[in-house]
Amino acid sequence: VFPGVRQAQWLTKTKLVEGLPPAVQGIMDNPALGLQELEERAKHMVSHARLWDTADVAPRRERYCPMLFENLIHICRLMSGKFPSLSKRMLARNCRIAATWERESILLQVRGLSGILMNSMTPIPPVASKEEILATKEHVLETFYPIAPTIDLQEVNVYKELNDTGQCFRDGYPYSHPHTLFFLESANVRTDRFRPEQLRAKMLMFAFGNALAKAKALHGNDPKVLEQPVVVQSIGTDGQLFQFMVFQLNTTDLVSNDGIKNLVWIDSDQNLYERAQCVPEVKKRVVTKPAGISGFQPDTFKKFLALYLHGTV
Amino acid sequence: MAALGARWLLRPGRRWFSETVPGAPSPPASPLYPPVVASITAKSKAAKTRRLQRFNQRVHAAATVEEKLRLYGKLQRPKYMVYPQTFALNADRWYRSFTKTVLVSGMPPRAAAAKPPVAVSGATPDTGRAPKPSAKAPAAAEAPGAAEAPEPSAGAAPYPDIGELRSLACDALLQESFYQKKKRPFLYRDQDHTPGPFLTQLVSTLASSLSGRNPLLAASSLDLNPKVNYYWHHGKEVVVHGHRKGRVDPVRFQIDDNPHLQIRVPKQLPEVVPLESNLGDVPVIDHKPSKLPLFKKQYENKVFIGSKVADPCCYGHTQFHLLPDKLRRERFIKARLEDQIEVVYRSNGIASLFAWTAAQAMYQGFWNEADVTRPFVSQAVVTDGKYFAFFCYQLNTLALTSETIKNNPRKNICWGTDSKPLYDVVEDSNVKGFNDEVLLQLVHFLLNRPKEL
Repeated sequence: VFPGVRQAQWLTKTKLVEGLPPAVQGIMDNPALGLQELEERAKHMVSHARLWDTADVAPRRERYCPMLFENLIHICRLMSGKFPSLSKRMLARNCRIAATWERESILLQVRGLSGILMNSMTPIPPVASKEEILATKEHVLETFYPIAPTIDLQEVNVYKELNDTGQCFRDGYPYSHPHTLFFLESANVRTDRFRPEQLRAKMLMFAFGNALAKAKALHGNDPKVLEQPVVVQSIGTDGQLFQFMVFQLNTTDLVSNDGIKNLVWIDSDQNLYERAQCVPEVKKRVVTKPAGISGFQPDTFKKFLALYLHGTV
Repeated sequence: MAALGARWLLRPGRRWFSETVPGAPSPPASPLYPPVVASITAKSKAAKTRRLQRFNQRVHAAATVEEKLRLYGKLQRPKYMVYPQTFALNADRWYRSFTKTVLVSGMPPRAAAAKPPVAVSGATPDTGRAPKPSAKAPAAAEAPGAAEAPEPSAGAAPYPDIGELRSLACDALLQESFYQKKKRPFLYRDQDHTPGPFLTQLVSTLASSLSGRNPLLAASSLDLNPKVNYYWHHGKEVVVHGHRKGRVDPVRFQIDDNPHLQIRVPKQLPEVVPLESNLGDVPVIDHKPSKLPLFKKQYENKVFIGSKVADPCCYGHTQFHLLPDKLRRERFIKARLEDQIEVVYRSNGIASLFAWTAAQAMYQGFWNEADVTRPFVSQAVVTDGKYFAFFCYQLNTLALTSETIKNNPRKNICWGTDSKPLYDVVEDSNVKGFNDEVLLQLVHFLLNRPKEL
């Protein structure tokens, strides 16, 4: 009922910043990375996923959404020819996440299948400077008085507080730092898919859950302000529209409403292409829309790649 | 009376015989009568030949490859469905006879000679990694790698570091089988639980780390769960029952294959041996294909390499096949059919690679009346998660129908190895008995590229 991100912000004690952080922008604008040549390949990958993948006329979303994701990840992974430290990453599919925290005397828990998780051996360095983090002290969280902030959340009796990303992986796992979460809305029927706003809220909650679990594993269960903030990224898509998010956990002290807040940078509703026409549309013997991908936006792919390279470049 | 008759004949106006002066020779005009050829619609052998010729001309004259494929597979009739992954006994001999393939054991000599001297560590077979927390574990794996540091770095730089690749492979294996917590595998779907994800991880990480050395991989396209189909005719049979009883028909086959993973590239792999080489014999089997057992069905005749003709990555590089739970080794051992274990791997390699290379050739416009002018080469790895078998296939001829096979001396060639284990056992975050040869062969497969690159 509510714009989901605002509610999620209150629940995770987060301040929202529009657009991507300057570190990621810097990667995008860096000409040494050769992102121009990859545009052609990205366009081929989009055409492959949307047009050429099947012997039928057009593939369905359940097929083309994961296929597009795999193709884009394949292009990103091939960059490890240039940057050998990129090989210290591992994709994990179907991992379950669970994290618990208290927020103004309400106990909250996030649980579930968090899509596809990419782990890395080294953590992402903090994105915001110390001044920005201190400045969040002044920021006041939006409340929804008189609506309780836990509206639309399911209330359950929790008997065991489960708390680790180690729930998904055992101890000693070498790729222990969660890097990026990917959410693919690939249901064929539109009502089964999350709307962009809800998808962003889901991305925020799961990124927060992963970051919190990692922080608790590294620094213990006591609520405190973190010396080394934990950064987790998140990308969500339905095959055409992309949502990019970078989340920085600054504090695990979530009970009170004041003090240092967490930060999230969101770049929402980025179209990768306008339309993908499998069969040319012909009206009155004139081709109105030719077959192929039209309106390809290379910037969206550049953001995807920049988020992938973030932390090693 | 004779005089009356003669006068009647001599009347002027009636030329009895005329003398035409032979003037200019008659112009070499088109013949006065149309050519005498067989009918199109009659029920005769000549008419059948004429209809076939007209069909061949139509396919030759097709403007685009899609049109050619459409005409090639237009007529639907019952055909044998050939399954690459089959439990049939001695299926690889049958498949070799259907596809005119010669099997050579071992990898092609070019592969053995040109193996890059990869920096091999004097590693013990036990490449364990102690279960220490995060930062320490890579150091433990790097310890066998650090032992190579004394080796001259000039030798190590152009060649891939086997220690690093081994650690990548072990990481993928350990993640899927030990570190990631998963639910119990579904009944009879053990392959989807651990070996499937392990294979995906292994190939994607190895391909990306080797892409710096192989520019062909850097331009490649990775497909997950693609479909590969091919339809062809081979041999003749008499229709047994039905309204077409008694007619002589070609024997039709269709392969519908689902590799686990495949890599497609924009440039073709180089040929292994020249086009006309003869490396062995093709087995001849006198029985009907239905004795294998093989069953007939009538459905769409598809030719597909994994993506449509418009894709620039239209040549194949490597396929990876995962054997299903039904064909696992323990079942064969329990049924006392140990020799059939290798047959499973071989039949999978031959059938899948034939379908893939032949479909690639059709995408370039060749078909059984227009035979290939250059050989098409592709590779495949067949595995059940632990045991790996490697295959390399060279397609020299598409002409397998009864008319075109008569004067065709060319044969397709398949090189294949036996299945070898990649590791012995995974215990508690340790991989015991890791076999470097298998990894080396896999790396060599991935590094395969045309000479000019």
